[in-house]
Amino acid sequence: MCDLFALSAATNYSAPKSLPLFAAKAGKNVDGWGIGFFKKNRAYVEKSADRAYYEGRYDDSFQRLARVISSKFIIAHVRLRTSGPIDECHAHPFALQFRGEDWIFAHNGKAPAIESYISKKVRLDCAVSDSAKTFEYLLDGIAAQDKQSSSALSLFRAVALTTSQLVEDYPGRYNFLLTNGWVLFAFSNHRQFFLLKGSKNLENGLLLTTVGQGLSPESWVSLSRQNLSKGLLLAIVGSDVLLQEDI
Amino acid sequence: MCDIFALSSGVNYTAHEYLPIFAEKSKNNMNGWGIGFFRDNIALIEKSSEQVYNQEQVHESFQRLARVVDSRIIVSHISCPLSGGRHTAHNHPFSLSFLDHVWLFVHVGLIDEIENYKTTNEPRIEVDVYSARVFEYLRDQLISYLRYTPYGSLGRSLVKSIKNMISQYPGRYAFFLANESVLFAFCNFRQFMLLREAERFGNSLILTSIKEGLSEKEWISISPAPDTLGKLLVVAGPDLLYLGDVV
Repeated sequence: MCDLFALSAATNYSAPKSLPLFAAKAGKNVDGWGIGFFKKNRAYVEKSADRAYYEGRYDDSFQRLARVISSKFIIAHVRLRTSGPIDECHAHPFALQFRGEDWIFAHNGKAPAIESYISKKVRLDCAVSDSAKTFEYLLDGIAAQDKQSSSALSLFRAVALTTSQLVEDYPGRYNFLLTNGWVLFAFSNHRQFFLLKGSKNLENGLLLTTVGQGLSPESWVSLSRQNLSKGLLLAIVGSDVLLQEDI
Repeated sequence: MCDIFALSSGVNYTAHEYLPIFAEKSKNNMNGWGIGFFRDNIALIEKSSEQVYNQEQVHESFQRLARVVDSRIIVSHISCPLSGGRHTAHNHPFSLSFLDHVWLFVHVGLIDEIENYKTTNEPRIEVDVYSARVFEYLRDQLISYLRYTPYGSLGRSLVKSIKNMISQYPGRYAFFLANESVLFAFCNFRQFMLLREAERFGNSLILTSIKEGLSEKEWISISPAPDTLGKLLVVAGPDLLYLGDVV
């Protein structure tokens, strides 16, 4: 199963300690890696079909990028293929422009039903995996919610309603990170997120990962959906969990 | 009645277009003014006990600050005689540091008895105006909810704090509470006017208590619903992240 990592902070931050730890602890994911971040509100993604970590060695690019990338949000993904071919294009994160903003998305899970989805508005040119389709579905859904609403609709409500519809229309396992550079949405319906704030050993800010028990021997807190809910949705801004809802 | 203004943007932005109009439309409030903003995550405040509008002119310093202050979040307050004394220190915004952030606070309203509130935390705001006590009350509540559960939702904790405050100190509240990344807005007796500006106008979101808004554009009116305790908005960057009733 793929794994996810995010760093969220109030100012631009690098993750030279936690990103390599993430790659090593999620080393069973051999089918590619990617790091997404923002520079002056524009999204950038560096990704590869190579292994991020193999037999005690980090991918050279991954290691260098971990030291250099500086952003309020850093999203990383290591891939174990379940849908789509193994190539750079199908490595996560993905980026799309939507509503005049750049959005970054990374996913783990399995949702074969959504592979047939055809977006009306946004299109990831080369990717055809369930993850790519999930990203397109979410942006289409947010746009539709916006259009349906007669008054001001909050972005959190739009993401919550769209995700709820996603799980109904295309049942599957979804764990995703979605950000437009101001807010990071984290959703899970099948695994736990591990969170750490104010780390003494790693970077400051809020760290989030799907890697079991977190990345360091500190007090990581696990969050997961409640039994009867469709999944847990978080909105993270700076180093705070701002909103949290079981959908 | 005093008036308040807030701008939230994805990048540092100047409210040169709207702050002078805000001052002009608040010209009946003659007891001073204040502008709060963030630089490198530190809150800075400029305030004055002089009239913001006199002899058909917006106060010169206010005008200059409106042109110069650039920040992701800007809040402003124009005081009426109800809001307290005539000294600069009595004017809003107020600032306090807690929960790893520096916060800015501006408030409009009338509350019984809250001037007797004794804060349980340091520092105390050393002016005897009830808005300072409102801010201290909210600070104390948020700390009590989040000190030992740092991964709790900040938004949910604020809702609980507001409910406690209204129960203990019934009254009229309309306030903006902001840290470097997020702006909270609450009202239980007046409407807020909201405008989402397009990218070419700074990709920002503007809120004000001025009932007709600050331009001819399509401002959205947000009022507390009947049989609720009030309306809460959460804004991150240019996005309205949450809009809900406090019940």
